[in-house]
Amino acid sequence: MAASKTTTPAAAPRALVLGGNRIPFARAGGKYAHASNQDMLTAALDGLVARYGLQGERIGEVAAGAVLKHSRDFNLTRETVLGSALSAETPAYDLQQACATGLETVVSLSNKIRLGQIESAVAGGVDTTSDAPIAVSDRLRRALLDLSRARSVGQKIAAASKIRPKDLAPATPRTSEPRTGLSMGEHQALTTAQWGITREAQDEIAFASHQNLAAAWAEGFFDDLVTPYRGQSQDGNLRADTSLEKLATLKPTFGLGLDTPATMTAGNSTPLTDGASTVLLGNDAWATAHGLTPLAVVVDAEAAAVDFVHGVDGLLMAGAFAVPRLLERNGLTLADFDYVEIHEAFASTVLTTLAAWESETFGRERLGLDGAFGTVDRARLNVHGSSLAAGHPFAATGGRIVATISKELHRRRAAEGRPVRALVSICAAGGLGLTAILEAA
Amino acid sequence: MTLRTVPLPGVPGLGGVYARGAGAAARLAIARRAGRAPAGLPDVAYEVRGVEVDPTHLTDYQHLLGEPASDVLPAGFVHVLAFPVATALMARTDFPLSLLGLVHLSNVVTQRRAVRLSEVLDVRAWAQDLRPHRAGTQVDLVTEVSVAGELVWSGVSTYLAKGVSPAESGGDAREEFVAPVPTGQWRLAGDVGRRYAAVSGDRNPIHLSKVSAKALGFPRAIAHGMYTAARALADVGAARGEAFVWSVEFAKPVLLPGTVTVRVAADDEGFAFTGWDAKRTRPYLTGTVRPL
Repeated sequence: MAASKTTTPAAAPRALVLGGNRIPFARAGGKYAHASNQDMLTAALDGLVARYGLQGERIGEVAAGAVLKHSRDFNLTRETVLGSALSAETPAYDLQQACATGLETVVSLSNKIRLGQIESAVAGGVDTTSDAPIAVSDRLRRALLDLSRARSVGQKIAAASKIRPKDLAPATPRTSEPRTGLSMGEHQALTTAQWGITREAQDEIAFASHQNLAAAWAEGFFDDLVTPYRGQSQDGNLRADTSLEKLATLKPTFGLGLDTPATMTAGNSTPLTDGASTVLLGNDAWATAHGLTPLAVVVDAEAAAVDFVHGVDGLLMAGAFAVPRLLERNGLTLADFDYVEIHEAFASTVLTTLAAWESETFGRERLGLDGAFGTVDRARLNVHGSSLAAGHPFAATGGRIVATISKELHRRRAAEGRPVRALVSICAAGGLGLTAILEAA
Repeated sequence: MTLRTVPLPGVPGLGGVYARGAGAAARLAIARRAGRAPAGLPDVAYEVRGVEVDPTHLTDYQHLLGEPASDVLPAGFVHVLAFPVATALMARTDFPLSLLGLVHLSNVVTQRRAVRLSEVLDVRAWAQDLRPHRAGTQVDLVTEVSVAGELVWSGVSTYLAKGVSPAESGGDAREEFVAPVPTGQWRLAGDVGRRYAAVSGDRNPIHLSKVSAKALGFPRAIAHGMYTAARALADVGAARGEAFVWSVEFAKPVLLPGTVTVRVAADDEGFAFTGWDAKRTRPYLTGTVRPL
């Protein structure tokens, strides 16, 4: 009888992180120089399939994206699935939210799992700056389109005659914010100056990132999270032997035109990187049926955005707003987190975010709190290194962080037998920030 | 002074206006030597009724200036549509200053309500307030745009004729410029003058090429002042609302190609903007956008 059918499940399923796999990240122009986004994403996905025995499996849905994407890759993720060992009946979609792309695939697929729409999913991201798409200029493109629409010889000549020699110069992807004309580094230099972040503090963050990532590689932490590719078996940007002295010798590259001393160098900023990452998600029933151990629960997420265009807040400061809202909703404080992952777009991005949270004025005037939001225990910050050491293939960073910290959450929970939580915050172009709470399953 | 209304059949093309302006300038120079130069402003207002907007023209303008391609006309686009009527007035033989060589000092636009693509515009323009400036003589060109008798937009463009008497000192010593914290920068390519000329019709040679600009005393082509002011207005974005006063003062011409460092930010009364040369710490333009 139709009336007795229920439309809402009794209890919403949990969205679990079941595993992850990435390829080592490579410096731009390095071992992946001629690999496309699809090549790298397929390598990461096939590594995941092999690691978790998913050959021929129909996954609920695969979502991935790239920040720098060629127009021919309009269906990048589906094409990747078709070229992978997954069942060809696995649906897929592309997603793009600048550097938050990878984390947003995790969040939106987790939401589908929690709604009961799917039981399993693969989230992912990939980017290449070596194989970046190059477009023709707008004027040439318009003339070519007019030419293709022209019917008569006269119309064709008229369309073709609009092309000027300088229109033939290729248009490479812009690294500057479309509305301000400033690069991300120049924007962050303004924020760095605003918060008075020192060169020494930034170099210490960079040094810790290399130290922590090197230690994680040395102890074999990434052995079941990374599949070697094209002769790259470890993150190419990692400098295990770097030192504060070496970092101190580098010349500043951003903020050179400001009144304050320039402090941001190639050492405390992320390099251009190629790479891909994936995360396996599922509900409890699917995990049990496939004999997989849940690592972490995707608890909640919050996105924020700032008006950097009119200088209200720094370009990469949205996370400073998203996290207080996220924690308020979940009844948590910074002290409730065993791990805090703040994506190191620049060392100073981490530091300006922490400074904002520690500021009484910012807490009162910008967050609407009674005082400062709180302090992050540095011993809990980016404990396996982050983007400064690993590199930052834009859309692949979210998957790297989620898979890494989920494994750590599970390990810690197994050792201590108490709830263990991680906070993830990723800043992105356009003044965006995406944050999430993960808890050991 | 009562103005006599002179109807024009349509908005004049600026190419022809500049040619007439050059002719008028030559006659003016002769008249001035003979001591017969006009002492006052022409007592006429030019009027053009029934101006319609070409959607492609609007799209081209919006794309160039970074405005969203909505069906609302950006305030700077209305200026582009209407100002040639005022320019035609400056090209009259009885206009006391020579059109070529006039320097755009400042501009104030009052946008009373949103004007849409489908609306038919009536334009009226006249000159007023001929007065001394520390570097010569200045004059206001007033342009009004109405829809079915309702005033929707008005502009006051102040121009300077350098070195033309009365040369009493204006005495407005400039304050020391202190560069604010930037919010962005405009990297202006060498063809920005030609591209704005294409959408505005203002093909004054000083904007078109190094060669044509040199002939008129500039080392390189310079950006149209209203291009830079309209970029600032676009940077303010939707926060400006539908009714506002958009004011700008031009301090130094922007040589092309060139980089203008800008700050466009809210202040207590709306938005303020500054564009400057970061290397020499010299302002190019300053202005405000205030809600009405």
